[in-house]
Amino acid sequence: MPDDVNTETEEDFDDEEIDLSALNDDDLRAQMMDDLYDGLADEIAEGTNLFLSRGWGPDKVLGEVLVEGMRIVGIDFRDGILFVPEVLLSANSMKAGMAILRPLLAETGAEPIGTVVIGTVKGDIHDIGKNLVAMMMEGAGFEVFDLGINTDVDEYLEALEKHKPDILGLSALLTTTMPYMKVVIDTLSERGIRDDYIVLVGGAPLNEEFGEAIGADAYCRDAAIAASMATELITERRKAA
Amino acid sequence: MTTEPSAETESSGYEPRVSPPNSESVELKQLRRRRGGGRKGRQEARATSSAKSVAFLERTLPPVDMLDEAGYAQIEANAETILEEVGVAFQDFPSALELWKDAGADIRGDVVHFPKGMCRKIIQDNAPRSYVQHARNSERNVTIGNNTTVFAPNYGSPFAMDLDNGRRYATLEDFRNIVKLTYSLPQLHHSGGTVCEPVDIPVNKRHLDMVYSHIKYSDKGYMGSVTAPERAADSVEMSRIAFGGDLQDRTVMTSLINASSPLRWDATMLGAATVYAEANQASIMSPFILAGAMSPVTVAALAAQALAEALSGMAYYQLVRPGAPVIFGTFASSMSMATGAPTFGTPEAGQAIHVMAGLARRLGVPFRSGGQFTASKVPDAQAAYESASTLLPTVNAGVNFVLHAAGWLEGGLSIGYEKLIMDADQLGMMEVYARGIDMSENGQAMDAFRTNPAGEHFLGNAHTLKNFESAFYRSEIADNNSFEQWEEDGRLDAAQRANVRWKKLLADYEPPPLDSAIDEELLDFVGRRKSEMPDAAY
Ligand code: B1M
Repeated sequence: MPDDVNTETEEDFDDEEIDLSALNDDDLRAQMMDDLYDGLADEIAEGTNLFLSRGWGPDKVLGEVLVEGMRIVGIDFRDGILFVPEVLLSANSMKAGMAILRPLLAETGAEPIGTVVIGTVKGDIHDIGKNLVAMMMEGAGFEVFDLGINTDVDEYLEALEKHKPDILGLSALLTTTMPYMKVVIDTLSERGIRDDYIVLVGGAPLNEEFGEAIGADAYCRDAAIAASMATELITERRKAA
Repeated sequence: MTTEPSAETESSGYEPRVSPPNSESVELKQLRRRRGGGRKGRQEARATSSAKSVAFLERTLPPVDMLDEAGYAQIEANAETILEEVGVAFQDFPSALELWKDAGADIRGDVVHFPKGMCRKIIQDNAPRSYVQHARNSERNVTIGNNTTVFAPNYGSPFAMDLDNGRRYATLEDFRNIVKLTYSLPQLHHSGGTVCEPVDIPVNKRHLDMVYSHIKYSDKGYMGSVTAPERAADSVEMSRIAFGGDLQDRTVMTSLINASSPLRWDATMLGAATVYAEANQASIMSPFILAGAMSPVTVAALAAQALAEALSGMAYYQLVRPGAPVIFGTFASSMSMATGAPTFGTPEAGQAIHVMAGLARRLGVPFRSGGQFTASKVPDAQAAYESASTLLPTVNAGVNFVLHAAGWLEGGLSIGYEKLIMDADQLGMMEVYARGIDMSENGQAMDAFRTNPAGEHFLGNAHTLKNFESAFYRSEIADNNSFEQWEEDGRLDAAQRANVRWKKLLADYEPPPLDSAIDEELLDFVGRRKSEMPDAAY
């Protein structure tokens, strides 16, 4: 048995270089979905460029390869097969693909997946959950501007002005800082810009009723829900428009 | 200003407990049954808790080391390397950077780089090995450090839960109830701090009601507010009033200052810590690390990082006021790599408690860690297992100040009324456990053997009659009866039995005396401070 060990490892991890350009479209698509799953950012960038050079439109690469690949990542994260650090690598790979596609999508006038401004509110430095949310959103193809921690209302306003996002995400982990979410939402209302954005809130001490009470569009209990809720509400809004 | 380490504090504090030989054996033989007040007297005596009402635990049980000399030394060396090479951020708090600069540290932006050994030396030259936190009732003063252990209740939960009402946002009423229950439970030595968040009170005024409740409804020591420097200052002022108008440099609060790991202290926490240090009040400078997210995943790495953070925090405290009492804190938990959720009661966290306690002993400062943690939402088997898996390492490691010792549920998001009662019962057991083995003559009980023929039971033996009442910890929660008896009693599980008990404790609660002039002055202060500021959401 011990003799088998070496050959076994070689079989288990087939490490040999794959020449992406040598694959036909179907195989390349399958390979890229694997590479997304394995979190290989360089390979995703390379594959994305290959598809574009083969005449695929950016929306087709996005929809049929990247979003589809990340959908599978999401399922396996939900089911406990993929772990957080792995999903982080997958999300970063998605980001690498998106960096190439985003300007092209804008040129063609295609509807982007969406833009998010997110931050932990003033007085609060809890950011682990918020970072996971940002990661999942990037994984879902959103462009995410993360304002970090301890964000006051002026910083949110400035970022909204600058990035014109679809979604404003607010995170708070303290009952002493949760009320500040309402301060932010009320300020948007005062300025007459509340309805320009979908406001999502989250953080362990929140709940559904609190989200409603402060006038958020939705409370998200975890990062996966936040990403799917974002997609859902944007689709709804675009339909209504 | 330096507090002289007292002579007593120089010893290890762990002396074997062997009483000098005495005439106990003679006494035994002459033991006569005395009148015990008949049925009524006995009923009254047995109705009271078997938990000893001690101000704090004085351990004879030696702490368990999980590392040898080389292991500790390696972690200490790694911490010094981290302090020097990576440094620690003191964010948005220029006065701290000034102090560090004057002390000879290398400041780059807001990151302080410490020459090797600097923090350790500042601490060892100045910080006391142990200190007394004075309580309103001096019988409840607690000594924190060396061989003592102090149990304090849960901290920081936005929700409260009990079997009747389920989980809801906590209110000031919940806060008062928990303070009253803690006062009534002899197993808890300290009233704690934010036992739960009174979410019904505006954010900028909560601390006034919380500190007042600790003073009014309990006479045990308590913690001050840390969510803003002015709230810390209010806590100091209220304590001054409560202790008769002048603290005379007495330490009457021990408050919780969390690091914002990795390797960072934030302005809110530094602001509060500075207020407390200046007033000679104690703080727990506490890295609170979810390993995986806030540190590398291994215990040795977490230990080096937590040591570096604690060293920088405690040394800062000594720069603000040399000799101010300060506790080395560590709250180690891990993040589920599968979901991102914090986990509790895991074996790695137990190891971390041991290693950090050893590092604190070597440094020569009091240590805070452990408690009874769980991620469970209800007081069920998961809650009990996870809590026990944290409590035993806590006690075996020789932790001096145990926050979250009772009541914690749901990763700290919720305080459970029943959980508080169940946990307190376990703490009572730990009091016995930590006392160590009684090696006195009575403990050895050789007379019992000499007076009992082989094969005969001991129930009527003089030694048994003399000792039986206090011989074994009698749990107030466990049911050891026959199945039939248990059925007759209503088939209650542990949580249901705890539910009955907290209701009885609350119904029987009587407040400790508080001088009416002091009470009035406190209420005036609270009223005035509240009227001075509009309700604020932060
Ligand atoms: C679109 O927008 C969205 C959508 C979804 C969103 C979203 C935004 N944000 C979150 N979500 C959702 O998706 C995420 C991923 O699934 C989820 O995010 P979560 O953040 O819930 O989950 C994370 C993946 C893991 N969870 C966490 O990271 C939080 C865990 C707990 C244990 C916690 C931690 C780790 C910390 N803490 Co703090 N901390 C606690 C927390 C108790 C708990 N069990 O939640 C809590 C929240 N803390 C508390 C306290 C008291 C404090 N903490 C403090 C400090 C810290 C650390 C720095 C030590 C550390 C944070 C490190 C960091 N970089 O974030 C202090 C405050 C500092 C400050 N100025 O803010 C301090 C005040 C302690 C002190 N006395 O020093 C308590 C709350 C008190 C209150 N007032 O309500 C607390 C419940 C623990 C307790 N019992 O004490 C969802 O909520």
